[in-house]
Amino acid sequence: MMRAAPSPEEVRRHNLGTLLRHIHLRGSASRAELAEGMGLNRSTIMALTSELTAAGVVREELPRSTGRRAGRPSLVVRPESTRVYVLAFQIGVHRLVAARVGLGGVILDRRETTRPRGPFDPDEIVGVLASFTRQLVRRADPDAVCVGAGAAFSGMVRSSDGMVRYGPNIGAVDVSLGEMLSRRLGLGLTVAIANNANLGALAEHRRGVGVGCQNLLYLHADVGVGGGIIVGGRLLEGADGYGGEVGHMVVNPAGRRCGCGSRGCLEAEVGELALLAHAGREDAVAELGGREAVQAVLEAADRGDSAAREALHRVGDWLGLGVANLVNVFNPEMVIFGGTLRDIYLGAAAQVRSRLATGAMAASRERVRLRTAELGEDTTLVGAAELAFSEVLNDPLEVLARLRTGAAAGRPLRDRSGSRV
Amino acid sequence: MAKARQWEPLDEMSVTPVLDLRGVDKSFGPVQVLHGAALSAYAGEVTALVGDNGAGKSTLIKCLGGMLPMDGGEYLFEGRPVRVGSPREAAALGIEIVHQDLALCENLDVVQNMFLGRERRSGMVLDEAAMEEMAARTLTGLSVRTIKSVRQPISSLSGGQRQSVAIARAMLWDSKVVVLDEPTSALGVAQSRQVLEVVRRLADRGRAVVLVSHNMNDVFAVADRICVMFLGRTVAQVRASDVTHAQVVELITSGRSGDGVEAGRPVPVHGRGTGPGGGAGRG
Ligand SMILES: Nc1ncnc2c1ncn2[C@@H]1O[C@H](COP(=O)(O)OP(=O)(O)OP(=O)(O)O)[C@@H](O)[C@H]1O
Ligand SMILES: [Mg+2]
Repeated sequence: MMRAAPSPEEVRRHNLGTLLRHIHLRGSASRAELAEGMGLNRSTIMALTSELTAAGVVREELPRSTGRRAGRPSLVVRPESTRVYVLAFQIGVHRLVAARVGLGGVILDRRETTRPRGPFDPDEIVGVLASFTRQLVRRADPDAVCVGAGAAFSGMVRSSDGMVRYGPNIGAVDVSLGEMLSRRLGLGLTVAIANNANLGALAEHRRGVGVGCQNLLYLHADVGVGGGIIVGGRLLEGADGYGGEVGHMVVNPAGRRCGCGSRGCLEAEVGELALLAHAGREDAVAELGGREAVQAVLEAADRGDSAAREALHRVGDWLGLGVANLVNVFNPEMVIFGGTLRDIYLGAAAQVRSRLATGAMAASRERVRLRTAELGEDTTLVGAAELAFSEVLNDPLEVLARLRTGAAAGRPLRDRSGSRV
Repeated sequence: MAKARQWEPLDEMSVTPVLDLRGVDKSFGPVQVLHGAALSAYAGEVTALVGDNGAGKSTLIKCLGGMLPMDGGEYLFEGRPVRVGSPREAAALGIEIVHQDLALCENLDVVQNMFLGRERRSGMVLDEAAMEEMAARTLTGLSVRTIKSVRQPISSLSGGQRQSVAIARAMLWDSKVVVLDEPTSALGVAQSRQVLEVVRRLADRGRAVVLVSHNMNDVFAVADRICVMFLGRTVAQVRASDVTHAQVVELITSGRSGDGVEAGRPVPVHGRGTGPGGGAGRG
């Protein structure tokens, strides 16, 4: 069927969204660069930037000088990062983070706490995040506007309604966490929620080491092992949003028991519990907490402790086998290791890549690049912020309208729906 | 001895190596230490130069950097034959060598170190604020986040941070080739990790990086290619994705690999007994 030509309103919405996305993801740009990048003429760009400037979403200024140069420098369009922001949450097995993230992806302010491992209590989690949010919002500029909220959850999340289904390590079963959090925040915002590794993939794809890669795998470990898969530039969600759970791919049918009830899942063989068990340090988790315990094994291995070294190599071997399978299936341009897998990869790269060399077919592996997450420990948080920004980037018009009337100054905008990535 | 093998470049962009040394001979008095050594480095890639103690890595790097004259062999830069008679001539081509001792000035701060000896080369008059911003931007560009202030003296930085500053200096000056001699050998785990990530980013930002290392794990973590030297000869130049740890170790220790990697033949699986290659049920 033929589509009717888009209305001028639709064109304007589309162009504003594209321009805003450009500034949000690529940072400051001159009008000329924007015109070139968007394929629009300079007068259209000028109209669009004027509209966004008037609304206070971007500002135009002279570039800071980096030396004497001839000629008049052209104006640079910058995001109003402190004025337009979202709330981003990270809900991990033993870590809760809340952050205020400005347009352009800058983390402006953050609060975090570790939570004891143990049964998942949604009320308690929502309570902590709501109290963090009050502190974050209070410290924002008086004229700052919150345009969305997003959360990264260490478990499975149904894409149709944001229902938190299951997390082998977090223990939740069927909780409307996004809805609970939205209600408790009382900001008139819907908190969009998605799987943490999927959001990590999105973050690295949009503003990390995976920029420009249309096909990538992101593997993330904290307590469990998760994955996010980008195929043809889009996150692979599956039918219900549960796609990419590479941690529960069985690599060793006769292997270790997994928290999910199966045996020999990638998570069971390369997760921190496996590493610590092989190194004879199971108790370290309780004493040190996950990340530090993993770090201690790496340091011991570096000092020549043979149990630690053996444990690291063993985990590296299994990780390489898992990656080899994934490379055969997806033929990615890049595999990114995040969370504690970043440390594991750098500490056991010889094992990982040897397995990849022998387990993946030459044609599939010859161009794949193995990288660590460029956003470091903030991948999933940055991903949650991207999720939160997605609505305003898809449809900046309503936000602009509210900014223009000034009705929203100092107060968050009302969101109409729980939209997703 | 097996002949050095040139592999197809990883992608179209890097068809011509930025740096291509071939058949390099070098003697110290009566002792010949390089026998037709070779090394190619490509833009956007990390080439690891490995070999046992005394294999000739540092000697080859010194020839590359103009610190030692070559007795024979070819030196191609961006496909053209060049003569590199001094470190200054190497620098003029855009070759930066980060030595293990780094040559940073302890008492100067990060900005001063990054601009040391270069103020005039740019032909542009830079004020302090501009230099500070460029230094900070370069470090941010390499995602070096742990250095709190670019006005800190070098003496207050950790070993990993110092390496990062030295690498950032190469980045700032638009070097085409950056050679790093054992950048992580003196560092602990956390700092090594930081340096490896910076090394990788330097290549991802388009530089040809040569990494001299004895640490096979570091090599596999970041290398696209591995150049193996044995007793003054280059015995293999292979893609890192085509070889296993065991094969590289064999090349380093014996100058050849039982399964013929240096000749490009297929590679059998090496079981380690403890991992996926080991017996079932050993999890
Ligand atoms: N100035 C010199 N005079 C005489 N012999 C030298 C000189 N420099 C190096 N050699 C010799 O040349 C050989 C190669 O040394 P080189 O330093 O290049 O090895 P290398 O691969 O860098 O070793 P390492 O891993 O220990 O740094 C060694 O046998 C060394 O003793
Ligand atoms: Mg040496």
